[in-house]
Amino acid sequence: MAHLDCSFYSPSLRKNAKVIVFLPTMSADDYLFNDDHPRYFAKGAKYQTLYLLHGSYGDCMDWSLFANAERYAQEHCLAVVMPSAENSSYVDMQYGEDYLTYITRELPAFLSTLFPLSEKREDTFIAGLSMGGGGTFRAAFARPELYGAAASLSGGLDKALSKTSSEAHSVKMPKNYRQACFGDSAVPTPGGKDDLRAALKACVDEGKTLPRLYHVIGEDDFLREGGEAFLAYAKSLGVEIEYKLHPGVHNWDFWDTYLKEVLEWLPLANDMV
Amino acid sequence: MAFIQTHFFSTSLCFGTDLNVFIPTPNVDELMVPGGADYYHPGAKFQVLYLLHGGYGDYTDWMRLTSIERYAQAHKLAVIMPSASNSFYQNMHYGSDYLTYVTQELPELCQSLFPISCKRENTFVGGLSMGGYGAVKVALTKPESFSHVFSLSGALDVMSTLESVSDGNRMTPLNPYTGEHTFAMDPVAVFGTTDVRGTDADLFALAEKVKQEGRPLPRLFQSVGTEDFLWASNQGAREKFRALGMDVTYEEHPGAHEWNYWDTNVQRALNWLPLTGSTVEE
Repeated sequence: MAHLDCSFYSPSLRKNAKVIVFLPTMSADDYLFNDDHPRYFAKGAKYQTLYLLHGSYGDCMDWSLFANAERYAQEHCLAVVMPSAENSSYVDMQYGEDYLTYITRELPAFLSTLFPLSEKREDTFIAGLSMGGGGTFRAAFARPELYGAAASLSGGLDKALSKTSSEAHSVKMPKNYRQACFGDSAVPTPGGKDDLRAALKACVDEGKTLPRLYHVIGEDDFLREGGEAFLAYAKSLGVEIEYKLHPGVHNWDFWDTYLKEVLEWLPLANDMV
Repeated sequence: MAFIQTHFFSTSLCFGTDLNVFIPTPNVDELMVPGGADYYHPGAKFQVLYLLHGGYGDYTDWMRLTSIERYAQAHKLAVIMPSASNSFYQNMHYGSDYLTYVTQELPELCQSLFPISCKRENTFVGGLSMGGYGAVKVALTKPESFSHVFSLSGALDVMSTLESVSDGNRMTPLNPYTGEHTFAMDPVAVFGTTDVRGTDADLFALAEKVKQEGRPLPRLFQSVGTEDFLWASNQGAREKFRALGMDVTYEEHPGAHEWNYWDTNVQRALNWLPLTGSTVEE
C-alpha cells in the first residue's frame, strides 16, 4: 500500500505540480491472512490504473483524506492517480494552464515512465466527482482511445442547468476564475472546445469508440437535473450512459459509498496484469 | 528541526493548497552542549521569514534546491514557504487572489497554528526571481507587518519583464505535449493588461504611494548575479528605490539566474536580517 506524493515540473501547467499516486503493494492483511494475494512486483507485471479527479474547491489530496479511495483500491489491486486541477473544470484554460492536456496527455505519458502502470486501454480508467465528474467525461471524449471506462460521481455535466441550483457556488466562485477557464463569457461557448455536448457529438460523428460510461448521483443532489439532461442528450445521439440514482446529496458520504460501486462496475482483474 | 508539510483549504484561492513550514527545534548538536537547546518558555516565539518561489516553481523549491532548513536552524528562524503558481503574487485579473492569500490569509493561519512572532520587527519576507518581486510587493502591501524584505535576482522592474515578454525576447520552455512555447506568466491573466506603469503592480509607484501615505517603508536587501539577465534592471531598481528614500543594501556577485546563486546568497540575506539567533518573547 504505497502512497506516493510526487512533485514535478509539468510543461502543460508551466509550474511544479503535485500528484498523488497510490500503488497497491503487500498489505498487512495480505501478509498475515492471504496466501493468494496479487502477484506484487512480478517481473513485467503492471497495474490497472484509475485516474481519480477531485471537485471544485478541492485538490489531489481530497480522495485520500475524505474517502477511503486507497483502501478500496488496495482491495482491487488498482493503482490510483490523483492530480490537482484547481477550479479549472479540467479544460485547457483561456487564461491559465492546460489542464485537459495535463490530465489526458502529459500524466499518462509521464507516469507510465515512472511507475509500472499498464498503458492498455482496457486497463486504464477515469472517474471523478462533481467538477471532476464533468472532467471525467471531458477527458473521455477528448481521448476516447485512452480509457476503457469512465465514471462520473455527481458530475457537473450541464453548466447551464446547474448554475441556478447552487447559489453559494455561483457567488463564492470568483467570476474572474470562471472567465480564466472559459473566456470573458465565464461559461463554455456553445459548440466550442469546452462544450461537453459538442465534444460527445464530435466523437459520435467521427465514429470513435467511446469508453464505457457511467453516471451515479444522489436523488437530492443539485446537479441531478443537469446530469439527466446530459444523459438524455447522449441517448439522442445513440450513446448509452449507465445511470444510477441513489438516496443522497452532494457530499463525501455519497462519494465514499458509491466509489465502491464504481470499482465494482469497472472491469478489474483484481491482480497485476 | 521540525519540517511540517501543511495542506489546507484556502478561502482566498478557493482550493486546497500546500505549505512547507520549518520551525526550529533542538537538534542533536545543540543537545550535546549544556544549555544549548533552551527553546521552550511560555510565550517564546520565533522570528519568521516568508520565503517565496519563482516562476515555474512551487512551495517545494526552496526545500529541495537549497539548504534553507540548515541555514534557518543556525539562526533559529521559522520559515514559511507557500505556493503562488505563476501569479506574480497578484490578485489575478483572471485567476486566484494570491496577494490576499500571502499578505492576509497566510499570516493569519500561520500565526494561529505555529509559534511565530506577530511583531513587525520579527517578520520578514524574501524570494527569488518572480518571488523577489513578490517579496517586495508583499512588504509594500503590508508595510506595517513586514520590517525587512530581500530579493534575490528579483524581477523587480515588472515593466521591463512585460516588455521582454511582448518583444518575444524571453526564453520560453517547450510543452512537448502540445508543441507550444509559453512564458510562465500570462500578462493578461495576471494583470489584465500589458501596461502596469503607475499601478500597484509597479513596485516603484507602490513604494511612492506608501511613502506619500506616511507608512513605514521596509528595509530592502537586493542581490543579483553579474551574469543574470536581470542584472541591469536590478541596478535601475536600486536607484529608483533609493531615490524614494528606501534603505537599500545592494550586492552583486559573479553568477547567473540559478540555484547555486540563490543557495549561496540566501545565506547572506539571512546574515543581513536582524536575527537574534534565539526565540523572542511576546
